[in-house]
Amino acid sequence: MIPGVRRNVIDLLKNIERNIFNFFSHPPREIAYACVNEKQIQHQKFSIKDIVGDGFLLAVPKFRRTVEKRWKRKFGSPEYQWKMLVPRTNIKVCHECGHYHERGRLCGNCYKKVEAETKEIQDKIVEKLANKPIENEVIVLYDGENLPDQPKEFWQGKRIIEMKKERPQFFSKNLLQKTTQQPSESTDVKPTDLA
Amino acid sequence: MNQLLKNIAFKNVCAIAVNNLHTTVPVSAWTKSEIPQSFIRNNKKIYPPQEPFEEPRPAFVCHQKTNIKYSPEKLWYIACFVRGMTVDEAIKQLSFVNKKGAGFVKDTILEAQELAVSQHNVEFRSNLWVAESFSGKGTVMKGIRRHARGRLGEVRYQYSHYFVRLEEGKPPADYYKRNLLQPHQQLDKWLEQMRKRKIINSF
Repeated sequence: MIPGVRRNVIDLLKNIERNIFNFFSHPPREIAYACVNEKQIQHQKFSIKDIVGDGFLLAVPKFRRTVEKRWKRKFGSPEYQWKMLVPRTNIKVCHECGHYHERGRLCGNCYKKVEAETKEIQDKIVEKLANKPIENEVIVLYDGENLPDQPKEFWQGKRIIEMKKERPQFFSKNLLQKTTQQPSESTDVKPTDLA
Repeated sequence: MNQLLKNIAFKNVCAIAVNNLHTTVPVSAWTKSEIPQSFIRNNKKIYPPQEPFEEPRPAFVCHQKTNIKYSPEKLWYIACFVRGMTVDEAIKQLSFVNKKGAGFVKDTILEAQELAVSQHNVEFRSNLWVAESFSGKGTVMKGIRRHARGRLGEVRYQYSHYFVRLEEGKPPADYYKRNLLQPHQQLDKWLEQMRKRKIINSF
């Protein structure tokens, strides 16, 4: 480096170092030293080496970065990490609502509708049955639905929630079927009690 | 340094002005706009009428989003990603890019699409493709952080601008010209290279 430039840099750094303490509203160091014993007045002259001794000014590039290295940094490498964004091929269109979603994940738009409906049911449960722990099965009935024909013992302990709205399209009755139940062999099920 | 002096000058101006007068408008009349203007000016250019033998010039719209709190280098990756895609494809892909800048770019493209249809005589909003897409540096605010051993470091709060130009029509087949050869041509080339190999010190 040109000696003149280096001198300027050092002067600049000295100025910064002096002013930073002023900026953080510390008293100038010279005052502090003046109040101390005579022996210590000799230390008034201090250079950057006191603070910087272990060479922070020495971190300087030694060689020019080649264009290949610059490209590697910017673009990455196909063998290791490719930094450029690549279009995805696993985006599908939802058949129900027409929004996009990733293959293997639920459609966000449809899920929001389900979430909203679930929240409504939960609010209704809390309203009717308070926040007690759910020990018994909860049956959700929508407008215009009747309880299925079952003997009276079946209904003991079951809590019935009535929602004052139409059953949404996605909420079919057999969604709440228990997997532990054996599939029935009977052929006399009403069509309305299916999906 | 210039900015500092300008700020000092304006503070003096405001101090001199009467307390109940608003000086924002007259003061701003003398300052240069910090928002880039030259790209947007392309929208206002009026072309001469074309000759009958010339190919019809496709309609285009230039749009920009300024002072996005994001690094311009990071935004560059997203800008490159979108180049050469149709607007529908670009919006679809950007919805699944997990970066902060993707949201800004998507909003910009949607706004540009609306502008194209309403103000730039584009017939179908899907018949657009991203002709130009790039990022620029906005303002940089500087802050200080501490390091070990009493040293200070600089923190850069970077802002960027994003520019996009949508053109009417179909996009080119391969914007980045990744593969000039067709698959069967690539295969032939590979086979030729494999057959050209020589086993050294053999007959």
